[in-house]
Amino acid sequence: MSKPKSKTEKIAAAKRDSLLDLLKTEGSKIYTDLDGGQFPHLYVPSRSVRNIVYDKKLRQYILGKAAGLRSSKNMAQLRSFTQLIWLAFFAKRLVNEKKSSTLRDIYYSSQAFEMDFEDQPESDNIIMDLEAVLARPREDFHIFPEERSSVFGDLTIEYTVPGYEGRRVNLSDHPDGYLIGPSLSSAELVDTSAELVIAIEKGGLFTRFVEEKVDKKFKAIIIDTTGQAPRSTRYLLKRLRDQMKIPVVILTDGDVYGEHIAMVIKSGSANAAHLRELTVPDAKWIGVWASDIEKYKLPTIPMTESDIKRIYDLQKDPRYQEGIWKKELEVFLKIKRKAELEAFSKYGLTNITDKYLPEKLELAKSL
Amino acid sequence: MATKEIFNQISPSEFFYRNRDLAGFSNPTRSLYTAVREFVENGLDACDQQGIFPDIHLTIKPVDAEKPDPKPYILTVKDNGPGMESKQIPMAFGTVLYGSKFGLKQARGMFGLGATMAILYGQITTNKPVTVVSSVDGKTQHEYVMMLDIQKNKPVIVKHSAKETNKKGLSVSIVLEGDYSKAGSKIRDYVSQTSLITPYATITFDDPKGDKFSYKRIVDLMPPSPTIIKPHPHGVDVETIRRMIVDTHYQIPTLDNNMIEKVRKELGLAKKNLNFDGIMAKAEKKWSSLSRPVRVIVALMSFLKMDFDKIMKIRIDDIDLAHKHLTYWDFGESKSIMVEMPKSSPYYKQLANTVHGETIATFLTKRFQRVGQATAVKFTEFAGLKAEKRIGSLSNDELVQLSDSLQKYEEFLAPDPSCLAPLGEEPLRKGINEFFNPDFAEVVQRSASAYSGFPFIIEMGIAYGGQIPGGKITTYRFANRIPLLYDEGSDVVLKVVNETDWSRYKVKNDAPLVIVSHICSTRIPYKTVGKENVADRPEIEKELRLALLFLARKLSAYMSKKGLAEIEKKRSNLYQKYLPLISQFATELAGKNKEPDYKKLIKDLNMNVETQK
Repeated sequence: MSKPKSKTEKIAAAKRDSLLDLLKTEGSKIYTDLDGGQFPHLYVPSRSVRNIVYDKKLRQYILGKAAGLRSSKNMAQLRSFTQLIWLAFFAKRLVNEKKSSTLRDIYYSSQAFEMDFEDQPESDNIIMDLEAVLARPREDFHIFPEERSSVFGDLTIEYTVPGYEGRRVNLSDHPDGYLIGPSLSSAELVDTSAELVIAIEKGGLFTRFVEEKVDKKFKAIIIDTTGQAPRSTRYLLKRLRDQMKIPVVILTDGDVYGEHIAMVIKSGSANAAHLRELTVPDAKWIGVWASDIEKYKLPTIPMTESDIKRIYDLQKDPRYQEGIWKKELEVFLKIKRKAELEAFSKYGLTNITDKYLPEKLELAKSL
Repeated sequence: MATKEIFNQISPSEFFYRNRDLAGFSNPTRSLYTAVREFVENGLDACDQQGIFPDIHLTIKPVDAEKPDPKPYILTVKDNGPGMESKQIPMAFGTVLYGSKFGLKQARGMFGLGATMAILYGQITTNKPVTVVSSVDGKTQHEYVMMLDIQKNKPVIVKHSAKETNKKGLSVSIVLEGDYSKAGSKIRDYVSQTSLITPYATITFDDPKGDKFSYKRIVDLMPPSPTIIKPHPHGVDVETIRRMIVDTHYQIPTLDNNMIEKVRKELGLAKKNLNFDGIMAKAEKKWSSLSRPVRVIVALMSFLKMDFDKIMKIRIDDIDLAHKHLTYWDFGESKSIMVEMPKSSPYYKQLANTVHGETIATFLTKRFQRVGQATAVKFTEFAGLKAEKRIGSLSNDELVQLSDSLQKYEEFLAPDPSCLAPLGEEPLRKGINEFFNPDFAEVVQRSASAYSGFPFIIEMGIAYGGQIPGGKITTYRFANRIPLLYDEGSDVVLKVVNETDWSRYKVKNDAPLVIVSHICSTRIPYKTVGKENVADRPEIEKELRLALLFLARKLSAYMSKKGLAEIEKKRSNLYQKYLPLISQFATELAGKNKEPDYKKLIKDLNMNVETQK
């Protein structure tokens, strides 16, 4: 490994080295077993629904203590055991060679090693197993999601990816925003004048916000979550909050799915219960609330059967038992109608940025 | 005595000595094996009866290791059972037909015959004594060195000593002619299979070659002890009934010198001679203190009107209560004489009760299991006999009629299975898992059933894959917790297994499959005296078949669920393919240059595959 030069590079190198150490430890155990004539095995924390519990203190879902033995001695597990070790081996190469990869890439890369994944869901599953074993998100071992969301605003970053090391970019230089991809995810956050992060559910509104200079008017970094925020986006939100100390607010459609998009940013998803680095516990959902629909007289659409069923489901979730989370679900259930962010256009294209946003930001201070 | 012919009476010891082939002591190979069995089973039975987890230690040592087989071996079996009272030891180990297992309940051995046979065999082949060491209290142990007097069926104590100990239990050591080179594999099989069916026991075996075989206890649960019960009406034949009747009523005492002396003594006339009337008067006075046989003799004398001198010269031939006739043979006059027995005489009733015993109804309720008064009365109607008739008064024809009817009458309750001690499903499952380390195992215990009045229970287990070698389906047969190793060809269990169409259950005939069958009964219907194969009684065959089909269906479900039949083929290929890959990845992950020595694992697997072919 080359000697780290700058501070940001040092941080990146330290993170990389700790992962490589972890991989080496797991690898050595297996090596020793094989050398001693033993069938190697691993314990994989169980990700089954029964082992997912809500942690009130962390305010997120985490895995319980159950772990499954995956042994190469067991015929039924031999293949998946090999796949898991292959993935660890492949991750080490990715990290060492500073190459990025996607879930789909992994599926195809495996074929060169005859790993016999039956389909991509199977390889995706092994990736989640490795995340659980190492307790590290897959982005750490350079496997990135394919969905890309974007970010815009006064934020200077410094790349750590090969060929760009040390190069700096300000994210307000391109009006379409910057893709939150592997390079940005692995970049160090250097400097910002922003005092707020606004995560917004839809690309169209993101563009409107850039046009209306919301970044300048509200000293904000604007992030397009493209619906349910991808993990790299949630990871960036967390870093902005933790490293740059900028509060995060979330703006979604006025429906039950929008409310849940905000909740996942705030406290994670059951799917990623094995990871703890993806939540922004003090992020605030500022709208569109069910109660806003009437207050701002927004044009509405009736809820579908599945919308209503979703409300009942979320009412069982321990995170929806208090505050606006509980209250808004009840209002949604009462009015049985929903409104999109674009609904504000009925009162003029800039109504949302001129009137609604400032009011809600003011209100958010008291949340 | 009665006849002029002279019979050469032989003692039981002598009888067995002459017929030792019957008991499994036909040659040095078989004898060594049989001796091991007899002592080990006695040890296990002793522990079972007391609810002690058995810890049996078996040692076979050659007297002279250099000599070729067959040669003398010292066979020692030590248990941690209750031991045996010091004074009982000479009788128990020094006489044939002495034992405590005469009741009707399930036990491994019968009558304690075999152990004495082994001792007898040892003595006639090596002329060495048997050594028995026993402690009943865990404080004092008694050691007896004994020989058997074969003709007199009596023990000859060579040495008896006592010393302190801290362990309860019994140890028996004999020297016998044996052939371990031929018997060894059977003995080792016997020990290991015994451990399979007795998972609550620890059994160790030190063999003559210095090898140690140790089978540790793997379950902490003892099957409940069986209870001793009365016979079931379906389970008796004419001869048994005759013997039971003899048992219940009092036999007419023989008029020999000993008997007469006893009568005189009880009447206080040992030294004094009185005439007939004097004797009768004396008897009347002393009646309440007289023993039963003496009362019977006095009753006889009252009808015969004889004094002691006269009565010693006759033999009672018949007591015909129906016609009130008493017939005797007078030796002096060499003729048969008949006298009247007036019913009015108080002695008539005494004699009648003694001769006739209980009523049929009482006999049935008291002497058989699960027969109540109502059933007994109904049965006598069915049999065409009178319920109040006394069993002693039954004619030969009536006896046969009774016996036949007992067999035919279908209203009797099923035999009481409380005299049985099956192992239980969980201990059997654990035993099988420990023993075969299979991929799949299932066990079943059928509920009790009966054949010919003998209750029985079938327990069966099936195990597939894992470390079981393929090639053929192996059946392990057990009866009352004894492994059956010889003569398997004609066994009913084998018949049932072989008649099963395994392809219907997705199993090939060469699959790595093991079947463990355990028949528990108060009487196992062995085909031969060697007690190694079970006869095909329809009731037993049916239960075996039901048990096996149940297990086969479970196996079939397992096979289809796992698609194991195909995976089996891929098995070794999979390891051949994946282990090198795991090894390669682990090497790079661990940052090593040299690959680990995983080939050992593959070699082990290959050996398994080869033995399966």
